[in-house]
Amino acid sequence: MSGSQALAIAADLLVVFGLLVTTLGVAGMFRMPDVYTELHAASKAVFLGIVAFLLASLATSDGTIMARAALITIFLLLTTPVGAHAIARAAYQRREPMATPGALDESGCGLAPSESSDP
Amino acid sequence: MIHDGVFYVAVIWLTVLVALCAAQLLRSRSTASRVLALDTLVLLLIGLLVLWSDAEGVSYFLDAALGLAVLAFVGTLAAARFHGEGKMF
Repeated sequence: MSGSQALAIAADLLVVFGLLVTTLGVAGMFRMPDVYTELHAASKAVFLGIVAFLLASLATSDGTIMARAALITIFLLLTTPVGAHAIARAAYQRREPMATPGALDESGCGLAPSESSDP
Repeated sequence: MIHDGVFYVAVIWLTVLVALCAAQLLRSRSTASRVLALDTLVLLLIGLLVLWSDAEGVSYFLDAALGLAVLAFVGTLAAARFHGEGKMF
């Protein structure tokens, strides 16, 4: 049981963790009723799974791979929230109605489902 | 380096997830939801490329992954702005 073998097992565990989180994210994207809630699953969970894959590349102990993996991680960390915010803003500007039961629209545009409007 | 068995299972699993994302892309009725599904699909493709470079021990898959990330970001931003405001700039 050498050090590199332990590193390989750690990379395997990271890949399995990333697969589980990514699957949860895609399943959430299927199950959620409207865009506003789909964004939670798709932009956060899937990103976390991809970061686990990028961390697993540390086990290669190769400088070029690790530098590129760090670059991709930082880039995704900066751009995923910006993209999710742009999509949510577009949905709001087009007045897309919320389909989640019990959703609350505080912007005063009446996007929430009507049965939850009275307290 | 990840082991071969884990690599094969992960690649097949991620390919199924990409197919599910494509199904969501065709299934959903709202444009914002479709933009989101396309963004997620490209994120999964980046994961596939990263996995490949882990298993082979070569770095040039990651260059492609970085280019794909840049393209997906610009594309998502442009599509979302066009959908929301009716113009891009």
